[in-house]
Amino acid sequence: METLKSALDFSDFPRLDLVVAGSLAILFLIFPVFPHSSFAMATMIQFLMFSLYGMGWNTIGGYGGQVDLGKAQYVGIGAYTTTVMLVRWDIPFWFSMPVGVCFAVLWSFVLGYPLFRLKGHYFAIATIATSLVLKDLFEVWDFVGAARGLEISPIKFPPPDFLRLIFKEDVYYYDVILGFFFVGILYMNWFRKSRLGFQLRAIKDNEEVARSLGINVHWAKIKTYAIATAFVSVVGSFHACYIKNIEPEDTMSLDISILIALMAMLGGAGSLWGPIIGAGILIPLKSYLKEWLGATAGLIGIDLILYALIIMVISAFEPRGIWGIVQKVRRRRQ
Amino acid sequence: MEILLSALVSGLLLGLVLALVALGLTIIFGVMDIVNFAHGEFLMVGMYTGLLTAQGLGIDPLLTLPVAGAVGFLLGVVCYFGFIKFLLRGPMVAQLLGTFGLMLFLRNLALLIFGSEDRALHHGLLVGKSFDIGMGVIVSATKLAAAGLSVAAFVAVWLFMNRTRIGKALTATALNRSAARYMGIPTERMNALAWGAGGASVTIAGALIVNFWSVNPFIGLLFTMIAFAIVALGGFGSVPGAFFAGLVVGLIMEIPGFWDFFMFTFNADWMAKVPMTSFKYMWVYLAYFVIMVVRPRGLFGWKH
Repeated sequence: METLKSALDFSDFPRLDLVVAGSLAILFLIFPVFPHSSFAMATMIQFLMFSLYGMGWNTIGGYGGQVDLGKAQYVGIGAYTTTVMLVRWDIPFWFSMPVGVCFAVLWSFVLGYPLFRLKGHYFAIATIATSLVLKDLFEVWDFVGAARGLEISPIKFPPPDFLRLIFKEDVYYYDVILGFFFVGILYMNWFRKSRLGFQLRAIKDNEEVARSLGINVHWAKIKTYAIATAFVSVVGSFHACYIKNIEPEDTMSLDISILIALMAMLGGAGSLWGPIIGAGILIPLKSYLKEWLGATAGLIGIDLILYALIIMVISAFEPRGIWGIVQKVRRRRQ
Repeated sequence: MEILLSALVSGLLLGLVLALVALGLTIIFGVMDIVNFAHGEFLMVGMYTGLLTAQGLGIDPLLTLPVAGAVGFLLGVVCYFGFIKFLLRGPMVAQLLGTFGLMLFLRNLALLIFGSEDRALHHGLLVGKSFDIGMGVIVSATKLAAAGLSVAAFVAVWLFMNRTRIGKALTATALNRSAARYMGIPTERMNALAWGAGGASVTIAGALIVNFWSVNPFIGLLFTMIAFAIVALGGFGSVPGAFFAGLVVGLIMEIPGFWDFFMFTFNADWMAKVPMTSFKYMWVYLAYFVIMVVRPRGLFGWKH
């Protein structure tokens, strides 16, 4: 009960934030009612998915300051668990998703224990290496379809099917992921005020001091890594049902890991709204740039060049992201 | 026996070239504690430079090395003054993602300019030639030349870092930045020099590799990861470490060859069923992970 109260309590934010966030939430809720193109709908779903990925990354990377660049392997674990269980044994999404989370969290404990002995650059590169090893294994593992991947055939599982999360229209997927999105925000709101949240910020500021205060640094990091993993894995399972065709290259490539970290970084790592702002800017930009410059003008790669320039400018001149700029402006006003 | 020997030789030769790839990364890391994700993309630039100069001017690919080195030096210095300088003020997250942005930028620029198809050299003094060095081991001439030049480059860099005045200043900056500044060493220019030297060594490695490896815009990441593994094994910032670790990683990449040897020797059918060649790069990543966890300092590292 206390937990729920804490999760619903946004009173420490300025009123302006709450008004903006509330009106955006209402906008998201009524978005499907407005006339929209299927492209806009797909972009919205992508946006919500990547906000959730970003929120997960934000726990360990933002509040904890541990740059994790290997989140894609947990996207893969979630996606593959759901797909394999559905295709081979006809187990619906709502059962396989928690199983996928269990697998991902278990794997995160196995990896987290040695990984968190490392710090800084070493940690970041080691997470990339683990993710690439898992991807290579999945590319030769026949049981999960090797490099071809697996397909959820709409003939075998006729839509609409709420239990298996197979729909024809994107609107239903939108509703499901929006539900996850709100739950995610409430969880993060609780998390930032929880004991672990404060411990992590202490670790980020100064690890030695945190340890001297009696915080079990290693265990706190592993726990948070597992939380981040659970977020990512849930969205990975959703991704499998939404895309219906998964292969190691799409779900577990390094680009996904970096994109996840980038959402939170651009918006402002270590703040509640950061990942949502980041995803809200990057995802529409990415898909529309690709549509206009890549497909229409025929310039392959130019969308990613602009994208890379944004990353470079942000990391060189405003490493605390857009939320950092907002806070700077506010502080100057006071 | 021939299989074992040829696997050993080709692993060692590849290792020498890979060590040169990692040399630039270890210099940059040693001097300024920044991990360059765009390292493999610098290599790709070197490969394209070598390929296009050789094809455009109609000269032998081995003569393009100075051009590639000059391009790499320029690229490194421009990157430093135009971009990396600003990154150094920020936190580590920003540095990681910033160089990642540089990697995406270079990769997609190459994609825009050159297209996504594989390109390879077909002409040249050594391309396609090979000779028998005895005991049934056949070595392609390009690989042997590349390995030899790589050793020469290592000796040159080692002499530069330890015998010349400017190289000693570079080493001093790597050991202790503020102390070096008190001694009157212009550390800012040393950073730029480290980026220039790192860039030049990796583009030279690229111009060597293009003799026996086809190039496309996406090739960078693989070499970045291999270079990370070598640098981690040898110790971040250590030049001799990179050399020996390169040999080890070259042998690790030849694991499929050794696997074949054991398969034929013991006549083990079950071993043939394992798709070993698909795991070629996985061993490198795995080795990196194990080294980092067991001995983060690396074999020769003095930084942690």
